[in-house]
Amino acid sequence: MIALVPVRDGVLPAGAPDAIAEAAGRVLIAGSGTSSATVDGIASEVHLIELGPVEIARWAAALAPIIESLPDNDIVILPHSADGRDLAPRLAALLDRPLLSGATEVSAHRVRVARRGGLELHELRPTGSFVATLQPGTRGALAIGGLPVVHHLDVGSEPGQMAFHDAEVIEVLPPDVQTMDLTEASRIIGGGAGLDSNDRFDQLDRFAVAIGGVMGATRVITDRSWVHHDRQIGTTGVVVDPDLYLSFGVSGAVQHTSGLGHPDHIISVNTDPHCPMMMMSDLAIVADANETLSELLDLLDTAVGTGPDPQRNVT
Amino acid sequence: MKIAVCWKWVSLDREHEADRRWSGVSAADEAALEVALTIAGASIDSSGEVNVICLGPSGADDVLRDAIAVGATTARRIDASTDLDSRVVAVALAEQLRGHDLVLCGDYSLDRGTGSVPAFIAGELSSAQALGLLEVGAADPTSRTLRVVRRLDGGRREILHVTAPAVLSVEGSAANLRRAPLAATLAARTAPVELVRGPHGHLPEAEVHPYRPRARVLQAPTGGSLDRVRQILDVGGSDAHAELVTLDPSAAASKILDQLREWGYLEEPVSSSSGSD
Amino acid sequence: MTAPASTPAVDAIVVGAGPAGSAAATVLARKGYSVILLERGSFPGSKNMYGGVVYPRILDQLHPEWWLEAPIQRWITRRSTMVLTDTQALTVDFRSANWAQPPYNGATAYRPDWDHWLAGKAEADGAQLVCSTTATGLLRDERGHVIGVTTDRPDGDLLARVVIACDGVNSFLAKEAGLYGDVDAANYTVGVKETIALPKHVIDERFGVRGLEGVDIEILGGTSGVNGGGFVYTNLDTLAVGVVLKLPKLAAQKLRPEEIIANLKAHPGVAPLVEGGEIKEYSAHVIPEAGLSMMPKMTGDGMLVAGDAAALCLAAGIWLEGVNFAMASGMYAAEAAAEALAANDTSRVGLAGYERRLNDTFVLRDHRKLRRAPSLVLSDRVQHLYPHMIANTVERMFRVDNPTPKPGLRRILNEERRRAGVKLKDLATDALDGLRSFG
Ligand SMILES: Cc1cc2nc3c(=O)[nH]c(=O)nc-3n(C[C@H](O)[C@H](O)[C@H](O)COP(=O)(O)OP(=O)(O)OC[C@H]3O[C@@H](n4cnc5c(N)ncnc54)[C@H](O)[C@@H]3O)c2cc1C
Ligand SMILES: Cc1cc2nc3c(=O)[nH]c(=O)nc-3n(C[C@H](O)[C@H](O)[C@H](O)COP(=O)(O)OP(=O)(O)OC[C@H]3O[C@@H](n4cnc5c(N)ncnc54)[C@H](O)[C@@H]3O)c2cc1C
Ligand SMILES: Nc1ncnc2c1ncn2[C@@H]1O[C@H](COP(=O)(O)O)[C@@H](O)[C@H]1O
Repeated sequence: MIALVPVRDGVLPAGAPDAIAEAAGRVLIAGSGTSSATVDGIASEVHLIELGPVEIARWAAALAPIIESLPDNDIVILPHSADGRDLAPRLAALLDRPLLSGATEVSAHRVRVARRGGLELHELRPTGSFVATLQPGTRGALAIGGLPVVHHLDVGSEPGQMAFHDAEVIEVLPPDVQTMDLTEASRIIGGGAGLDSNDRFDQLDRFAVAIGGVMGATRVITDRSWVHHDRQIGTTGVVVDPDLYLSFGVSGAVQHTSGLGHPDHIISVNTDPHCPMMMMSDLAIVADANETLSELLDLLDTAVGTGPDPQRNVT
Repeated sequence: MKIAVCWKWVSLDREHEADRRWSGVSAADEAALEVALTIAGASIDSSGEVNVICLGPSGADDVLRDAIAVGATTARRIDASTDLDSRVVAVALAEQLRGHDLVLCGDYSLDRGTGSVPAFIAGELSSAQALGLLEVGAADPTSRTLRVVRRLDGGRREILHVTAPAVLSVEGSAANLRRAPLAATLAARTAPVELVRGPHGHLPEAEVHPYRPRARVLQAPTGGSLDRVRQILDVGGSDAHAELVTLDPSAAASKILDQLREWGYLEEPVSSSSGSD
Repeated sequence: MTAPASTPAVDAIVVGAGPAGSAAATVLARKGYSVILLERGSFPGSKNMYGGVVYPRILDQLHPEWWLEAPIQRWITRRSTMVLTDTQALTVDFRSANWAQPPYNGATAYRPDWDHWLAGKAEADGAQLVCSTTATGLLRDERGHVIGVTTDRPDGDLLARVVIACDGVNSFLAKEAGLYGDVDAANYTVGVKETIALPKHVIDERFGVRGLEGVDIEILGGTSGVNGGGFVYTNLDTLAVGVVLKLPKLAAQKLRPEEIIANLKAHPGVAPLVEGGEIKEYSAHVIPEAGLSMMPKMTGDGMLVAGDAAALCLAAGIWLEGVNFAMASGMYAAEAAAEALAANDTSRVGLAGYERRLNDTFVLRDHRKLRRAPSLVLSDRVQHLYPHMIANTVERMFRVDNPTPKPGLRRILNEERRRAGVKLKDLATDALDGLRSFG
């Protein structure tokens, strides 16, 4: 079992620590600036392979033989990050191994993968070797004393000759302000599909502001373009770590909660008391999130006078 | 440009598969079609051709006709159950996709949700891939190159240049599917959906459980409530709530504010009497 | 708005795939006319709510043996009427085993299921259902005859020989067609409903029913002083608890509908039925309350109105019947439309068959019979005085104050009537109205 972590200029992707930990500290770090990637304290055995800029097809072709050359390679675990989830299928195809994608747990005989929008876990019993991707944030890092043993590998020249058709990276944009204020917010108010209209998110935003917080949303909402995707919280959105998280109509799918960090306090309003989000709340309120939100604004308006009365739409 | 769009039809109700109330395609797949139509429409001679293709059961035919109503040139269905391994699906799709300059997909399907099919397709066709896109620019007619914006982690993005032939997958927020003209909607009801025999097989056996966060086996960075509860959860306690209450909206609102005050997130109580409690 | 002369796309457009619209579309399609059924929701029923009891007898004509396939929750085998004061509850309870078997009487059903099913039948009979499409206006020719509708879709104008508006309460189309006089809020009530989840066996125990048996409880009083009525209906594993409130009064009292439901649920007579349940959904909707007084013209040139759109709904506090009137009026409108299409005259005159049918059937007969009922049931006396009078009377009849001998009923009644401040004369007239309505 070994973790495969694609890096850009030595920067570890989201979920790298989880993947390395799941592989008990064995990792193959591939990409650009690999030697500057720091895995001290979370890895024990490290293999570095310099591949230059991200070119998924070329990378996959280079990595397949290298992986086969490494000992104990029956299970390859990549982080389900942007690059990991792109690389994994190409690699699995070249290695002709099954791909178990979006796992929350990987071991030789039991793999749990998140399905149906992260609300179901499917437990698989793999036989033989396979490639898996692990959801970021589902496991946490391994704490390993001492420095890892590092091996430098290099690409056999062969793949270089054949031409690969890959996209070309022009530029990497840093997180923009909107995203920053979300990642750094200590109070986050999250809205999900339980909120019934675009306008609710204006209300949610006003409520967030009124209590000195920032609004975030689930992917279902950013998918509807009700909220800009900068505000999507979760593994494929922004990973946050507030003290307070208040959720309205959020079910708490793994891809969302994995991006939540470790709030000291969680309050959730949801009509379903059994959904994961409610389960992990300090205060779980079974109520209609839409009405509750309007009520909250009423209360705050009468109290501190923030903005006009929100219209409650009753029909 | 000759563009193909891959639509995955998903039914959330296994008994009444075709019940349109619980079935359809993801926002991402709809966005994929919109992007395709836009690119096709923008191509100089606007000779753009957009073919929608779906591997799935007959229940999917309705949504495929919707695709024609909004402007797809043709709709084709590979007749098979969706219970197939993503690679098998991709191979079958790729068969039908050869000869297209661009293949547009959604970034994740509603049920499997692995985002791997587009990458498998790219592998099969040895096309370029650019997946999980937030924006797709128009294609340069001569170089057949597109400028696209892709989401990386931690709120970072990257700008890519992709040259056809390529497989692109887009997030739902990349575009909103246009509405079909009424006449087209009516006409499309009788529009033909080409049928192709599909692969057999099924996914490996899996035990299905509702999602429960996994306990962090190792000492957690901080003893945050999330971890605390995750641990409790993983040993199966289903009533792990610190506090669970059913309240009417106004009571719920006051309860929230009171709790925030108790935790010190808000200052002195609101003067006005609060709702019904 | 006048449209370019052009040939109609279809014989008939039915706007709104609620009970009225689907019934209408079915009838026309069966007679071989081309019908387009427009629905603004993403599927029929997606936007619709109601208390939850249907009395589908009329379907015997449209879909014989409908009960074999209709998506119902429970069959109503027990109807109770509750009279509530703050501390008392008097229940008149009726059960019938006959209602537990075909042809059945009434049933609880979820609107998304019910409307989806009815619309499906219309489609099966050949009507073209087009969802996510809102009719935004009427198309008229130079004579002012309705010749189609505009919709919110790109180039969404649609021409037809006749248009049937089944677009529900406050029918925008009927108003645009000028079929409504000016309507004041006094004629509307607002219906508010909570769906509360409870395990089936708990519901069975609490309501004393088995299998698919169900209960329909109408409530007088218990609406926090706002004139109206309440209801509790049993679905398979949820309860529908709601109130129907007179708009003006509601505005006057500074209460929110949801507070009134909360109070109703807290009433000692109701609390034991609902406690421990988990609120699944909350919804509210305006209802045309008081039949005749506010009904529009049922037909215009090239157009008919059915169901709530025509205010064919009985919402008089303790009654909530609309689905049955909607389905019936939809059918009759379609039959009349078919006649008119056959005779190639869809003018008001040509469509006259509709009002004839309404007049000859329960649709308007019931409304006429019950024309005084709404104002009676919703009157201040019935709402605020009688409940105390009746409840106290009964309480005293059953109370045992030995050694004092039991007083006679007439004496109690008189004392309670005075105590409640009810004039004998008013009691007499109300009693008479009551007799006229229900006798
Ligand atoms: C690989 C992958 C990556 C993903 N990345 C992300 C990500 O980064 N971030 C993210 O958020 N998602 C992500 N998703 C999607 C994720 O799996 C879930 O689909 C999504 O988080 C669910 O969002 P939701 O809770 O808003 O919607 P739902 O899951 O539909 O939940 C809606 C909730 O609202 C409740 N509700 C309904 N009505 C009411 C009411 N009236 N009042 C109160 N509550 C109500 C319901 O009980 C339910 O719990 C990803 C999915 C995949 C496959
Ligand atoms: C709280 C409450 C409780 C009730 N309880 C009961 C009960 O227990 N039993 C009973 O029999 N009745 C009950 N009723 C009354 C019943 O709901 C109505 O009488 C019945 O639904 C009327 O049916 P309809 O088809 O005329 O209108 P609706 O059911 O309102 O259908 C109208 C349809 O038209 C669509 N539509 C509207 N405008 C447009 C447009 N411009 N373009 C396209 N489509 C449009 C709507 O989306 C809807 O699908 C209740 C009503 C309420 C509010
Ligand atoms: N059975 C299918 N038919 C057509 N397209 C599919 C199918 N499965 C997946 N896709 C495409 O691949 C994307 C990602 O799906 P997935 O890899 O299952 O998450 C979807 O959004 C579709 O565009």
